[in-house]
Amino acid sequence: MAHILFDKVSKRYGSVTAVDRLELEIRDREFLVLLGPSGCGKTTTLNMIAGLEELSEGDIYFDGQIVNFMPPHKRDVAMVFQSYALYPHKTVRDNIAFGLKMRRYDRAEIGRRVEDAAERLRITHLLDRRPQALSGGQRQRVALGRAMVRQPAVFLMDEPLSNLDAALRVSMRAEIKELHRTMRTTFVYVTHDQAEALTLADRIVVMRDGVVQQIGTPDEIYEHPCNVFVASFLGSPPINYLEGVLETDGAATRIHAGSFAATLPPEAAARLSPPSGEVVLGIRPEDVTGLVAEGGDAIITGRVRTVLPVGSDQYLELRVGAVDCFFRVDKGARLATGDEVRLGIDCARLHLFDKATGRSLMR
Amino acid sequence: MIGATGIGRGARYRRRSRLQDWGHRLVLLVGSLLVLAYALGPVVWLAVSSVQDEREIVSVPPHWIPERPTLQNYRAIFFAGEKEVTYATRRKGDPSTGGYIPSTADSLLPGMWNSLKVALAVVLLNLIVGVPAAYAIAKIRFWGRSASIYFMLATRVIPDIALVVPFFLIIKKLGLIDDILSLVVTYLAVTVPFTVFVLVSYFESLPDELDKAARVDGCSRLQALLQIFLPLALPALVAVVLFAFLASWNEFLLALMFTQTPASQTLPIVVASFASDFTISFSFINAAGIVAVVPPVILALLFERYIISGLTAGAVKG
Amino acid sequence: MTGLSRSFPGAAPRAWLSRRFNYEERSAYLLLAPLVIVLGGVAVFPVLYAFYVSLFRLKLTRPGRVPFVGLDNYADLLRDPSFWTAVGRTTYFTLVSVAAILVLGLLIALLLNQAFRGRRLVGALLLVPWAIPSVANGLMWKWIYDSGYGALNGALYQLGLIDKYVIWLGDPAKTLLLVANAFVWKEVPLAAILLLVTMKSIPADLYRAATVDGANLLQRFLHITLPSLRPGVLLVVIYESMVAVRHFDLFYLLTEGGPGDATNVAAWQIYVESFRDLSFGSGSALAYLLAIVTFALSYAAIRALGSRL
Repeated sequence: MAHILFDKVSKRYGSVTAVDRLELEIRDREFLVLLGPSGCGKTTTLNMIAGLEELSEGDIYFDGQIVNFMPPHKRDVAMVFQSYALYPHKTVRDNIAFGLKMRRYDRAEIGRRVEDAAERLRITHLLDRRPQALSGGQRQRVALGRAMVRQPAVFLMDEPLSNLDAALRVSMRAEIKELHRTMRTTFVYVTHDQAEALTLADRIVVMRDGVVQQIGTPDEIYEHPCNVFVASFLGSPPINYLEGVLETDGAATRIHAGSFAATLPPEAAARLSPPSGEVVLGIRPEDVTGLVAEGGDAIITGRVRTVLPVGSDQYLELRVGAVDCFFRVDKGARLATGDEVRLGIDCARLHLFDKATGRSLMR
Repeated sequence: MIGATGIGRGARYRRRSRLQDWGHRLVLLVGSLLVLAYALGPVVWLAVSSVQDEREIVSVPPHWIPERPTLQNYRAIFFAGEKEVTYATRRKGDPSTGGYIPSTADSLLPGMWNSLKVALAVVLLNLIVGVPAAYAIAKIRFWGRSASIYFMLATRVIPDIALVVPFFLIIKKLGLIDDILSLVVTYLAVTVPFTVFVLVSYFESLPDELDKAARVDGCSRLQALLQIFLPLALPALVAVVLFAFLASWNEFLLALMFTQTPASQTLPIVVASFASDFTISFSFINAAGIVAVVPPVILALLFERYIISGLTAGAVKG
Repeated sequence: MTGLSRSFPGAAPRAWLSRRFNYEERSAYLLLAPLVIVLGGVAVFPVLYAFYVSLFRLKLTRPGRVPFVGLDNYADLLRDPSFWTAVGRTTYFTLVSVAAILVLGLLIALLLNQAFRGRRLVGALLLVPWAIPSVANGLMWKWIYDSGYGALNGALYQLGLIDKYVIWLGDPAKTLLLVANAFVWKEVPLAAILLLVTMKSIPADLYRAATVDGANLLQRFLHITLPSLRPGVLLVVIYESMVAVRHFDLFYLLTEGGPGDATNVAAWQIYVESFRDLSFGSGSALAYLLAIVTFALSYAAIRALGSRL
């Protein structure tokens, strides 16, 4: 059982607040991702779970018990570090076994677990080597192995894939997800890579400057971001923003943003609060219904600045009014810089944010 | 146009640079020889003098290469009990016999033994005291951290002579005059700050995440230090051991003050006592000097790499 | 969350204590404890005790009468002209030595900075003067300077530079410089290494850029090497000054403060006051003055030179 509760936890370094009154509940066996830009407090939060950082304020509970002052070696957590932190003077085998040795498991048990983990991670042939003789991907697996054999209540990972090349990163993501499935333990994973978060997480905690922005499943966060920051942080290429005005007259709610004008479908309009005012309109690149020949309602008009083919798709960088936007179009469309294009937008998927506060207007 | 010179010009450049090359090498060679002559000359002369017998040693001008090299001085030192030819017992009229070897020659080896005991004790204590402290300062963020560093450096501002007076009074009161324990304790004041300084700078160069990994793996702070950091800090440890050993072995002032008899006198003191005795032959004094010189020099040459890197650590930090 | 009460009796003070000195800090203090105890007992306490002693007229020749005199010892010293002369000698010795150490150290560092076969050997052998005990250094030079049979006389005579042997250590005009020479010889290796380390940290690209810009060897030295060496030079100057001001061993072994008062530097005077005249009070006071001066000098030097780093 590993249920972790943060109760108004803060961490300050002198005058800098790294984590501000965090309230978070991590459920047993879930894969929770802490996502945000550097300096947002996600690593500090992870360190506090591990006991590597002391709290300035608040309490942390493991299964209902306060653990604020429990040192790391007494907690049942294992951690994988961004730089792997393998012990250079020990062999791979000794590296993996170290945590078990410290906790005084008997030799036979240690041997069994190490072999087991090595097999699962396909590093059995590396057991007698030193970390210096391994590639980045191999070291990564050893670090995973070291954490795995402990069979901890909580598995902590601090940006473990950011030092790997792109292809390796994608395959390792799959392995980690599979690991979570078979180990059935709580995983807390820190990353700044939103694609990683979306792939791996059961739930995501988006943080910024020490403050939680939103907690939810990947779907919830992607589809219903609660503010402009969250909306722009998830999704690649990022969401496009246009400033505009929202007005309701009678039954119809309309949005005007520069040359773009559209009527919101009633179900969407119903959820708006308030349904009028100065807004920031967010349109995701993929929410394009297609190229159209003529202007009109719910049509974006712009001039192509760059065409970006990405293998399976094609993205256009469009100059819309005073702003540059990215939109995805069909690969087949033949377009060039300087062309004027018109794109149909799916109005059911528009995001609206209050211009002053940045908060979403969708309830 | 770039490089648009004729074949002739090109050859001239080639010739000039080859000349420069040889000139460069000549300068380096001469420079190296000068440096070696400067650094080693006096010591070599000391060694040469130590194997000259009494008649040769007083030649004017000196014999740069001894005509009748003899090991009698060394024999007197190392096999003191066997042969004892002193000022009193040398054959009259023949100054080349024995050669004014003091009857106290046999206290040289015990002096060396005292020096060794003191040095080893000091090294051990330096490690016990310095390693945990250096780890704490390097890796743990605690209140009073920078104060600790300044505190340590400040203790070395006071000249050793100032320390001698209070030490002397205290040691006298404790009845520890003429006990090597007094030396061991006082040498700590001289060696520990530097030890901690070097170790802190080395520990800081080891990645923090190793420490975190060890603690999550189940090590308390002390275990992390012993199991992970200590093995990795071997080069710095060797350097620190060397410095502490050499500082103890070579120390003179405090030993002069706190020791009175051969029971506790260290090697430098015994050697100095010969130098101030006018009845002792020069060659014997020089031999005693060589005996004092050889162990530290051997250590320094063997571990030269560690000494340099230890000093480097200190310099970079400083 | 189960009903684990957050406020149980004794929670407040224990929590405060734990928060004031958390686990991290507690383990740090434990690890530091041996150091603090040792240095406290062996460095701090004697220093304070020495100051305490300096406030009394403590003469071991009259152990019964130890009147408290406050800062009189210090006042007497500052009024005593021979104190100032001793200070002058110390200053002269220090200036001459540090200058020589700096120049020689720089030259040797420049040499060792070049890559050549045998560089490592030269560097290793350079450690010999550093490694030998100061006793050996003292008697070695004493033998070289010997007026009757010494190597210095012999060499100069054989080279035809003198026509009869000179009394070196007996000549008040020369002795301070002779001691300085022995001192410098032993200190140069360390200075050379410190300067070499600083030199090695100068990025090679600076030199390459300068060469492309047309600078010759001398210009590269003046415009790149020397300015970049400032931190190293500062370190050497400050460290060696502190060592020179405190140096005692050679004065004991070579000249015993003489002939007359020629090499009666402050450090020697402290020894004489304390252990020959057995006047511990004034000896301590003198030592303290020396320490204060050393400290003030190095502080001033750091501020003056360091601000232009």
